Amino acid sequence: MGGHDTGSHQFTGIAKYFNSYTITGRRNCVLATYATIASLILFFKLKPKKQAAVTEK
Amino acid sequence: MTLSLFDQFSSPSFLGIPMILMALALPWLLIPTPTSRWLSNRVVSLQGWFIARFTNQLFLPLNVGGHKWAPLLASLMMFLLTLNMLGLMPYIFTPTTQLSLNLGLAVPLWLATVLIGMRNQPTHALGHFLPEGTPTALIPILIIMQTISLFIRPLALGVRLTANLTAGHLLIHLISSAVFVLMPMMPVVAILTAVLLLLLTMLEVAVAMIQAYVFILLLSLYLQENV
Repeated sequence: MGGHDTGSHQFTGIAKYFNSYTITGRRNCVLATYATIASLILFFKLKPKKQAAVTEK
Repeated sequence: MTLSLFDQFSSPSFLGIPMILMALALPWLLIPTPTSRWLSNRVVSLQGWFIARFTNQLFLPLNVGGHKWAPLLASLMMFLLTLNMLGLMPYIFTPTTQLSLNLGLAVPLWLATVLIGMRNQPTHALGHFLPEGTPTALIPILIIMQTISLFIRPLALGVRLTANLTAGHLLIHLISSAVFVLMPMMPVVAILTAVLLLLLTMLEVAVAMIQAYVFILLLSLYLQENV
């Protein structure tokens, strides 16, 4: 069950690992998307909050 | 005390004991069990033929690994079908109008299919989040959409069964009340409304059977993707 890798796809470079045709390519795209979203969430959670500058009169 | 239209759906209890337990036990009391005799009677033979044919049709597209779900899905189908059909009779409570029951069936079974897929074939299970041949620009959006649709599935399963049965019972209640109210005032209109009620009841019998079947069919489809 699931899509079969067709031998006719000859990808080179990064497309060999990230494409929407082979099952491993699709899996890697999904994992990369999840990793990007997770890292964005972590970045905004861990970003230090700016404190208002105290000005001396 | 004024009764609202939804009071018929409140889970009944007597002296603190939830009566829904009796309603849930009713299918198992009514469905005939095969005897140890060599030849069964007509009812049991018909039931056996129906269950065998239904299970065969349902599991035709599934791999052999998914066939171990046959007893579970076949018995769940008989259970839901009997509950839905019994609920159409007057004064019988329909447990499948309770969202808690339907979600309690849908969520664990859906989760089981997802976990089986992630455990046995994680590459294929994750690959399902991206349809084959998607244009590159649409890849992230489609993955997010497929993830959301995955988590919506158990909610949709439970709510579909609840809403269909609740809406049907409510309509029967409303139209039958209309027939009683109109009978002394406008008998001809009341008779036409009664004809409508008859047609609606026939529709509800079909909906009761179809909704039980759709619940099981969708679960088998989710299993098909992951096994």
